[in-house]
Amino acid sequence: MNATVPQTNPISISRIVSDLIAAVGEENVLANREEMLVYECDGYVIEKNIPDVVVFPTSTEQLVAVVKLCNKHNVPFVPRGAGTSLAGGTLAVGGGIMICLTRMKRILEINLRDRYAIVEPGVVNVWLTRALSGTGFHYAPDPSSQSACTIGGNVATNSGGPHTLKYGVTVNHVRGVELVLPDGSITMIGGITEDNPGYDLPGLVVGNEGTFGIASKVIVNLTRDPEAGRTFLGVFDTVEAATETVSGIIGAGIVPAALEMLDNLMIRAVEQAFNFGFPTEAGAVLIIEVDGVEAGLDREAEAITKIVQERGGTVQRSIGWRTRKEPEYVAIWKSRKSAFGAIGRLSPTFCTQDGVVPRTKLPHILRFITEVGQRHGIRIANVFHAGDGNIHPILMFDERDPEQVKRVLQASHEILDECINQGGSVTGEHGIGVEKMEFMPKLFTENDLAAMVAIRNVFNPLGRCSPSKLLPMGSACIERKSPGHRASA
Amino acid sequence: MSDSVSWPDSPEGGEIGDGKFARATHRPESVEDLCRIVAEASAAGLAVYPRGGGTARDYGGVPRRPGVLVDVRSLDRVIDYPHADMTITVQAGILMSTLKGILAEHNQRLLVDAPEADRATLGGVFATNTSGPRRFGAGRPRDQIIGVEFVTADGKVVKGGGRVVKNVAGYDFPKLLTGSMGTLGILTQLTLKVRPAPETSAVVWAVTPSIVRILKALDGLNLSESRPMAIEFLNASAARMIGEPLGLPASAKDLVLAIGIEDNRESVRWQIERLKDELKEFDVSVREGDASGPVWSGLTEFQAYRPGSTTITANLPPSKVGDIVGDLDPDRWAVQAHAGNGIVRAHLLADSDLESVAKEVDALRAEAVGRGGNLTVTRCQTEWKSRLKVWGEPRPDWRIAEGIRDTLDPRGVLNPGRFVGTI
Repeated sequence: MNATVPQTNPISISRIVSDLIAAVGEENVLANREEMLVYECDGYVIEKNIPDVVVFPTSTEQLVAVVKLCNKHNVPFVPRGAGTSLAGGTLAVGGGIMICLTRMKRILEINLRDRYAIVEPGVVNVWLTRALSGTGFHYAPDPSSQSACTIGGNVATNSGGPHTLKYGVTVNHVRGVELVLPDGSITMIGGITEDNPGYDLPGLVVGNEGTFGIASKVIVNLTRDPEAGRTFLGVFDTVEAATETVSGIIGAGIVPAALEMLDNLMIRAVEQAFNFGFPTEAGAVLIIEVDGVEAGLDREAEAITKIVQERGGTVQRSIGWRTRKEPEYVAIWKSRKSAFGAIGRLSPTFCTQDGVVPRTKLPHILRFITEVGQRHGIRIANVFHAGDGNIHPILMFDERDPEQVKRVLQASHEILDECINQGGSVTGEHGIGVEKMEFMPKLFTENDLAAMVAIRNVFNPLGRCSPSKLLPMGSACIERKSPGHRASA
Repeated sequence: MSDSVSWPDSPEGGEIGDGKFARATHRPESVEDLCRIVAEASAAGLAVYPRGGGTARDYGGVPRRPGVLVDVRSLDRVIDYPHADMTITVQAGILMSTLKGILAEHNQRLLVDAPEADRATLGGVFATNTSGPRRFGAGRPRDQIIGVEFVTADGKVVKGGGRVVKNVAGYDFPKLLTGSMGTLGILTQLTLKVRPAPETSAVVWAVTPSIVRILKALDGLNLSESRPMAIEFLNASAARMIGEPLGLPASAKDLVLAIGIEDNRESVRWQIERLKDELKEFDVSVREGDASGPVWSGLTEFQAYRPGSTTITANLPPSKVGDIVGDLDPDRWAVQAHAGNGIVRAHLLADSDLESVAKEVDALRAEAVGRGGNLTVTRCQTEWKSRLKVWGEPRPDWRIAEGIRDTLDPRGVLNPGRFVGTI
């Protein structure tokens, strides 16, 4: 079981700060409350807590020194990347030391022949993509926040993105992790080869949400670029027709590289922001992408067009591309990936959910979401990874009105419960964090959770690293007052 | 407590492997049955050795203490096959060939190549992390599994993951259990991603006497205009074992690259032409459509061949595959490399003495480790296992592996002795 999380007091903090400064230098330590305000939460803003200290190690040696100091002073610590996480994974529950990895940001090695790269945890996802530009390879996981989020954070939460439909999520692209364990020791898990004798610990470590320790290096797969691709904009009068098309495409045995849906509210917000040319009167649009070798794409394109038309839609744009740098391609994906930013034009505050249903249940869950929104009097926009059945309903509200806040929380819970009822999950890519811990007993039995706690304790026996995250047992209870806003998914 | 229990000296209770006999073999008809059997054996101080089709019976270290066999093949039901979602949930005892047939009814398949599919069970394939040529294009078994259920050493049912293709709730038990050799739990149910079967496929069989040409071609294939599903490199002995029965060119001194492609007809046709051009210094034959099936099978079944006493598997960075293959005498070893993934499988061709084999294994292992990889002995006679060090030298992360095993199975009930370190 989790040990009680030690609390810090002002006297011990000043000692810790001087030790930390000695270890990493004054320029890499923040202990002033105003300066630390930005670290009180991540993209999940319901629950906030300012850490006692924020420290920015610049090397593995410094990271180890910091972790050892946390042990010496018996204080909890929590790793943080760019803070784009949406479930409170980086919240400093109970205070303590926040270890911010953004200054460990070197790409240490790129090996095209053996198809891997070794990066430090603070490397921003898109930096690796840029470093690989023109090589014929890319790093496949591409979360919408990729221009800000770090690979260390991607590993912690097992991030997804639009192209995971065909290429898989972060865990499918991580071969090894150098892990600084909560006691300050370093262990290399996995390696540059795919199979290593022993358990698949890289598979277990990805998605641990900081509860096993802190990644100091990550070995990732590099994926060969497709020879060619086609990206289509399918336009529909209704959400129903669009979701039926998604089921139709998957059911027909086509595996698109990406299959994303935006509903009318979202289309209008995105069009206002980016002027891509989305039809603002449409009920829904689908961004459908297939890739492979050019010679084989015509027939896939025909099959997709036919499925779209059979469901009453039209293909309004067809972008043929050989590299992902072509302007029209860049524009359509910029619009999609910035959709959450565009929502700010519609509502000052919003809350994004991350449910998953079997893909054939999409029409049902979208109807359900509409019904929930109507019943609670809440506007809900939808933009999501339709091909994976991973929904992101965005519930808009005014956080100054406690009555609205209550209704939004209620509506969110009803939607996630319905995802579970349909055989799905409450999180496809954002993680459990602190936000969804209460759902864990609905997804897992006591035996399942006990096994997870037992394994967490192998890595983190004192519970000092990322306390009160992911697993509901022994966690501190924080009263929930309002849902969050600002997010990208 | 286990000290009071002895190994039976007759095979009546069933064969565990490595010359060890079980005290009894149980064949549970339900997961509840299995839980009871494990709990009872555990309480009686016995080990439990799970078993599917027995295709990997001698794989791993030597069973450490007496116990019972559990044959899981009656747990073979399809729980849910929502084919339009491209997922399937099945019990672990199902035969790979049966599963293949069920998926084929909806023109789908599981992207895991396993030999001896009419004997091997799904659970066994995942417990041993078995894979084959398509892994280059399709990923590892762990990339196909999204949900798992297993029975732990105390007879409890635990599950992880779920039934949807994208899910980050909780720790990834599906991956932890894949390749865990039955030491953390007995697999009872798996939820898998499945994919549409391709419209057609082809294997380009390219022959050359020159290792230099092979290495250059492998470097080139890394950036090929085609997008291969498989990149296989065979030494002369392996090429003859696989190619001769199929009438493919293979001789005592030639090396072979076998490149597999799968897609729609237009794409496959175009890729064949590209590969012919890229491999124009080779003597190239192509097997296309239905004719490619037996070649894929040969490339998959090779790992289960048993021409001699010993089989080794090296995992290397792909660029180093040539070094190891070049070091293996083709008259003594038949070698297949899944070259795109850096996996080298070598079968000893004739009987040999321990010291000669040990010398070779030590040297190859040092070379593999020196290049960032590893080498395991996938099959050898029982008496050789400790000398040859089946799993190689300890790795830094085994300490954590042992911790996980100790917390889930503190008394070492499940498959003791089979896996790495003290596991």
